[in-house]
Formats: sequence, C-alpha cells, structure tokens
Amino acid sequence: MKNAFYFIRESVRIFRNSKVLNLFSFFGTALILFLLAIVVCIWSISSQLTVMLREEAEISAYFKKDVENTAELLNMIEQIDGVRNVMLVDEAEARSRMEKTLGEESGILNLFDENPFEAYFEVKIHLDRMDSVFAQISNLNGIDYVRENREVLEQIEGISKVLEVLGYIVIAAVSITTLVIISHMIRQGIYQNHEQIKTLILLGAPDNFINFPYVLLGFLLTFGGGIAATVFINILIHQGYSRLGRTLPFIPLPPKNQLVYGLSIFLLSVSAALGILVVCSAFTPPGRRIRVLLNHL
Amino acid sequence: MIKAEKVFLRYSDGTVALRDVNLSVKPGEFVYIVGPSGSGKTSLLKLLMGIEFPSAGSLYVMDQPIVRKETRNIRMLRRNIGPVFQEFRLIQGRTALDNVLMGMRFLDIPKRQMINSAKDALIKVGLEHKASVMVEKLSYGEAQRVAIARAVARKPALILADEPTGNLDYDNAINIMNLLYTLRDKNTTVLATTHATHLIDNYQKTTLIRVEEGRIYVEHRGEQA
Repeated sequence: MKNAFYFIRESVRIFRNSKVLNLFSFFGTALILFLLAIVVCIWSISSQLTVMLREEAEISAYFKKDVENTAELLNMIEQIDGVRNVMLVDEAEARSRMEKTLGEESGILNLFDENPFEAYFEVKIHLDRMDSVFAQISNLNGIDYVRENREVLEQIEGISKVLEVLGYIVIAAVSITTLVIISHMIRQGIYQNHEQIKTLILLGAPDNFINFPYVLLGFLLTFGGGIAATVFINILIHQGYSRLGRTLPFIPLPPKNQLVYGLSIFLLSVSAALGILVVCSAFTPPGRRIRVLLNHL
Repeated sequence: MIKAEKVFLRYSDGTVALRDVNLSVKPGEFVYIVGPSGSGKTSLLKLLMGIEFPSAGSLYVMDQPIVRKETRNIRMLRRNIGPVFQEFRLIQGRTALDNVLMGMRFLDIPKRQMINSAKDALIKVGLEHKASVMVEKLSYGEAQRVAIARAVARKPALILADEPTGNLDYDNAINIMNLLYTLRDKNTTVLATTHATHLIDNYQKTTLIRVEEGRIYVEHRGEQA
C-alpha cells in the first residue's frame, strides 16, 4: 500500500512516454468492445423476437363466406390436438388490430371505401405440432385457406442462431485482439524503460514491483476501453430507440433500460476480465522470458 | 561477509579479468580497491554483486554462493547491498529524492522512515537543497553523490562503490570518504574502488586491495575491526 501512489504515477509516466500509441490502443480497444456490444445488442433483440414469436405461434384460418355456423367450426378446431386456443376475429376486430399496429400511420386505412379485412379464426398452437394442425384445419369443411408464419419464424430463429455463433466468434476475436494489443503495449513500455528496469534489478527489486506499473496501465487501458465502449453503446441505443421506434413499429424492441443496463454490465465485465487476463499474461512464461532477456541486456 | 577461493573470471571473448582471487572480508571492514585501469577492479565488484559469475573457484557474499543458477537468491542478496555504479545508473525524469527513494520502495521499510532516510542521506552527501531537482539537471559530481545517497539510505550490510569519488572535487571527495568510513561504526562493510590513493592515507584501519593484471594483493593497514 505504501507504493500505491508511486505505482499510479509510474503508470501515468509510462502512458505519457508513448502517448499516441497508448491513445490508439485505448481507442482501438474501445472500438473493438463497441463492435462486440453491437453484435450482442442485435443478438439480444433477435432472440427476444424469436421467443416472443414462439409464444405467439399461431395460424390464421380463413373460412368460406357461406359458412353460417362459425361457432361449430370454432369448436371443431378447438378439438384438434396441438391447438391451445381459438378465437374468432371479425372484420371490425381485424381492422382495429391493424390500426393499433400502424399507430400514427393508421390513417392510411381511411383510404379504403370498405373494410378490407376478412374475419378469421386466430388459432394459437404448439409450435412443434404446426404441420399436423395446419393439415387438419385445412381439411375441415368450410375452411377456405390457412395462413401460417412458420417461414418467418424459422428465418428469424436462423438469424438469431447465426448471431449467437457470430457473438461467440466476436467475443473470441475481441479477447485475442485486446490481449495482443495491450500485451504489445506493455512490452513496448518495458523495452522503452529497459535501462530503468535493469537498474531496479541491480538494486534487488522483485519482479512484481517492477512489473506492477506496466500491468496496472494494461488493466486501465482495457477497462477504460470498456467504459468508453459502454458510453458509445449507450448513446447508440438511445439514438436507435428514438429513431427505430418511430420508423419500424413492427419490430418489438426489448425495454430500453433493460437493454442498456444489461449491455453496460456485460461490457464492463468483459473489459475487467480481459484486464485481469492481461495482468495474468504478464506473469506467464512469455512475460518471464522478457525479464530473462532484460537480465542479460 | 565475503569469501573467495581461487576465483577466476573469464569473459566470453576469452579475456581473463580475474585470476586466482583469494579474499576474506569481515563485517564492518573498510576496503579500498586500487589498481590501474583495466586491471580488474570493476570486474571484482561485478562478481560481488552477482552481475558476473566466477568461471572457476567459489565465491560467497553474506553466505550466498555467487553462481548462475542462484539468480533469484542473488536478487534477494542485492537488497542488502548498496551499490554505487561507475555510470551512476540514476533513473532519468525523476528528482534526486525520487532516485534515493527508488532504492528503498521495495524494501520492508515503513513509508515515513523511508522518506526520512532518503532526506537524511541527501543531507549527508550535501544535496538536501537539490532534493526536488531532476537528476538530468544535476552536474556530474552531484549525480554521483545522489547515487551514493541511494546506496547509503537503505542502510545495507555491504556497500560496493565503483569510483565513488571519481567526479568529485577534493572537498566533496573527502566528505564522501568520511561518510563511507563512518558507516563501519554501524558494522557496514564497504568496498570501494578508487584511483584517488592520496585520499586513502587519511584513514586508518582499512584494507587495501591492489589489483594488477587480474591478480589481487591484500594489505591490512592499521588495526582492523
């Protein structure tokens, strides 16, 4: 503890010795972590969309206009294995739903002279039974045609899986790149100060004492990059929500605060973990080899 | 404190710097090493600091064998040595006080005591007024005195000084010699190389080591402690 101030002062001095390179390392790390945050953000949104769609998996069954007893047809659909719930959506309800979905843009519906929407059965189903339910409803007397959203759901699920894999790849790439950048900066600092280090070795200073300012700088550069990336992603999310929320009302975005909080915790944790990895790497065999080299300078 | 038996030092280029060195130094002894340039004085100090290793023979400093495989323990040993390097080895971009403190920060000394020792050492070498001056702004002689203060401040059991008065005027040289000489009262062993043989005559109870072509000749002067 008696050297805490000394270590901080030394780290600042090492930073200043290669100010431009260290600043590039800092912003480089921040940008890499920012890219990671973007991938995680998109993955998070698509995952939420998939989960929501899975819960809302449904089939729209349109019946012929000559069907008089819709209650009987509804009852027959309810009996099918795999159906969770059936509801008749009449023309007025169909229009009302679309108005809600369109929000401020719903005025466009006033351009139609008549209500363009048809009545249909909204059939909530178990997603894994979609094929059999679809076939059985299609074969019922009185059913005109059946529409399902499986293709969209599968596509979104596919995108979500790709993003998940991409997320892991990006996490690995970010970790390796950050470690390489920061370790390189530490080694650069050590080489620049090799005369000072050699003097300290000759005075009997232990390795930990000699290393600590360099390691502290590495940790601060990594964690600082994480903080900067957190600020960037916060700004991006705030901007994105205010713009996307207006122009793409169909995309069910997760609650903003929840996303911001989750990403901030994630970025700070990742950067802290990477910072600790940098610290550990300084005490691994490659780190020791540098000291052996310095011993023989 | 120091025990050498039949020590040889041969550099990788084949030069034999020291040959058949036999030496025994007791705690509190005050030893001058003299000899012409290139005779092996600095090589002897490098051996004692564990910077070089004997090619043959055995060498112990404070019971620590000086052999290559003992690098880690030699680093520990150096914490009990106050070195004064010929080229000073001060750390640039730091004040004189910072440089003196640098020799103690990793030792088990409380902060307050560390600062007091550093300031006290600067007073002893007559540089208290330069404590906050960057070392690159000091004169050659002043820088040398900072190096001596750094060695003395950590109160080592052994001081190894390579030409500690080489760049000093007569008054400062006498002052530094007096400082080193008084350390024997605290049982500190001092080995110092020098060309200034005229300064040695001022002191009794010293040991003189003459180095000639790698061989040493020991002469005890006065009654040794």
